[in-house]
Amino acid sequence: MIAAFLQAVVNGALAGSVLALPALGFNTVYAVLRFPNFAVAGLATIGAYAGWVANALWGWPAPAAILAAFVAGGAAGALCDAAALKPLRPLGALAAAIGSVALNIVLENAVRFAFGNNPRGYDLPVFRDWRFGAIGIGPQEVEDAAIALLAMAAVFLLLRTTRIGKAMRAVSDNATLAESKGIDPVRVAWAANILGLGLCGIGGMLVALDTSLDPLTGFRVLLSIFAAAVVGGLGSIPGAVAGAFVVGIGEELSTLVVAPTYRTAMGFLAILIVLSFRPRGLLGERAY
Amino acid sequence: MRVTVSRRSALAGSLALPFLARTGFAANAIPLGAINPLTGAGGAYGPSMAKVAEALVARINRTGGVLGRPIALDVEDDQTNPTVGVEAAHKLIDVGKVVAIVGTWASAVTTAVAPLCWQSRTMLFTVSGADSITRLPHHGYIIRTQPNTHLQSGRAAGFLLQHESKRVFGLSAQTPFAVDSWSRLKEVLAKGGATGIGDIIYDPKQTSFRSEIDKALAAKPDTLFLNSYAPDLEILLRETYQAGFNGKRFTFAYAATDAVLKALPAGVTNGLWSFAPSPDVTSPAYKAVQAILGISDPDPYSCQIYDHVALVALAIAKAGVASGVAIHDNVRKISQGPGQKVSDPVAGLKLLAAGKEINYDGASGPCHFTPIGDILNCKFLFQVVENQHNKTLFIS
Repeated sequence: MIAAFLQAVVNGALAGSVLALPALGFNTVYAVLRFPNFAVAGLATIGAYAGWVANALWGWPAPAAILAAFVAGGAAGALCDAAALKPLRPLGALAAAIGSVALNIVLENAVRFAFGNNPRGYDLPVFRDWRFGAIGIGPQEVEDAAIALLAMAAVFLLLRTTRIGKAMRAVSDNATLAESKGIDPVRVAWAANILGLGLCGIGGMLVALDTSLDPLTGFRVLLSIFAAAVVGGLGSIPGAVAGAFVVGIGEELSTLVVAPTYRTAMGFLAILIVLSFRPRGLLGERAY
Repeated sequence: MRVTVSRRSALAGSLALPFLARTGFAANAIPLGAINPLTGAGGAYGPSMAKVAEALVARINRTGGVLGRPIALDVEDDQTNPTVGVEAAHKLIDVGKVVAIVGTWASAVTTAVAPLCWQSRTMLFTVSGADSITRLPHHGYIIRTQPNTHLQSGRAAGFLLQHESKRVFGLSAQTPFAVDSWSRLKEVLAKGGATGIGDIIYDPKQTSFRSEIDKALAAKPDTLFLNSYAPDLEILLRETYQAGFNGKRFTFAYAATDAVLKALPAGVTNGLWSFAPSPDVTSPAYKAVQAILGISDPDPYSCQIYDHVALVALAIAKAGVASGVAIHDNVRKISQGPGQKVSDPVAGLKLLAAGKEINYDGASGPCHFTPIGDILNCKFLFQVVENQHNKTLFIS
């Protein structure tokens, strides 16, 4: 029983660490632009395919492919935002959110048009789990978690130490005040989109490494990304990470008491409980 | 004179526009619908199914049509999603007034679409396998060319017994056939002295099945029965390999697609068994499907949809009337009667025009159906994965 519990915690933590990156990206965009960008799913898929092109077609090693996923997710995300979502933002967060749902469907189908429906595989080996007594841990998952943690550390460093990071935090705290101090909101919006949606690109590649790469790769985790962001606190950067772990571990632990078929439902029950006690999420809505 | 157009008729008219534009001869054409999984989990099969249906309709139209009328085929994508399937069925039935719908693939889609069909007396031809489908109160408006779960799982269990599986654990995607399939498999295994030690039904939309696999492997199975679709099979194969499982794995051929095998390293998939109802590879109709798709081994569903279109055309020709009721009343008269055996629908149409009786045997096999619409028997293909490719073991 203890082994089963520990195994569920390990599985949940590993699942949470992969979920954390796109959730972090989602909240970065929300913190600065104040609307939920549901196109993160499509952009995660684009990142995953960019990583696949770099790795399987061009023969790049995994770290370079991950960089390609970041660049593709960030570039596609920022350009799509400028073309499709920016004009909707003055109409309110709801209009922009609905626009992002539409954009997500367009992106998903663009990927389908370019690469077809069939699943693809990275040119990377699959390893057997390490066994520690009754507990099994996958090297691939540990590597994914390490990449996710590194990327998160880089984001925190960027927000804390760089000019653009500080500008993003300022806009997130009070956009009007930040503008009156000479911070260019357009520049900050671009930076937030490139950073946030680039992270979604990496997250998409990590999800695809663990699961399968097809046009629905991002869409399959969209609800969990949103849930992680809401649980942690919409717009909160560390909250996204905390939320992802709560969702990941909560879902896995539930399998100890109910059939795995109800795992997703139990995950959302956990969210309901968290939000009943902390309506603004675990860490509130402050960005940082 | 002032012409008024109600909003409702304007809407119906605008919805009908694609039909008129596509067919060009909507006035006297026989409207036929196809609902295929062009995208989603069944996306590997839908496009070739649609291609085969369109090619056969085009050929029938070129050779004079049915009762002197062309067939106007409208193919809709169900995205392997029941909600989308129902929208497509509404469009085909309410706006397009189709006489039949052919080629529904996923059991969940067929189950959702079926009531719309029998209520509107539209014939439904499906390739879905769930037993529950033909148990619906469909009044004879469903014909299924795919062997049902009972027949399939019985044969699967026979194969596992033959290959000395003793302890089988099932991991099944949540589908309408998951429970039936497992209980039949378990029943036949028990008769042969083996045990179905447990079954977990999982949500196929998950991105990881670690917990499910941990539970399954804790029961120490020698064989895993993976009742999956392609996207979840890929994850299951990877994760069972990672978890250190070295036993036998058995799945359905529609899940073990070439794309899934290519997406995983050979070491992960080698030895995976899969099976599928086999088309009649000796039939001239099978050769026609080969020619349409330009490949040597068309999938069973493309063969079955060829037969769907053929059965619709021949039943209408036999009845002398183009309607769902006419197909309902005549489909068995042209497929399992005492008439002359034919495998070419166009030749069948000529014989019917000359007043002869026919018995159509198609690309998928002898199209003989029970009173509730199930196929009576068919052959099965068993295969094994070697170096990222499916290799045929035998057809029986």
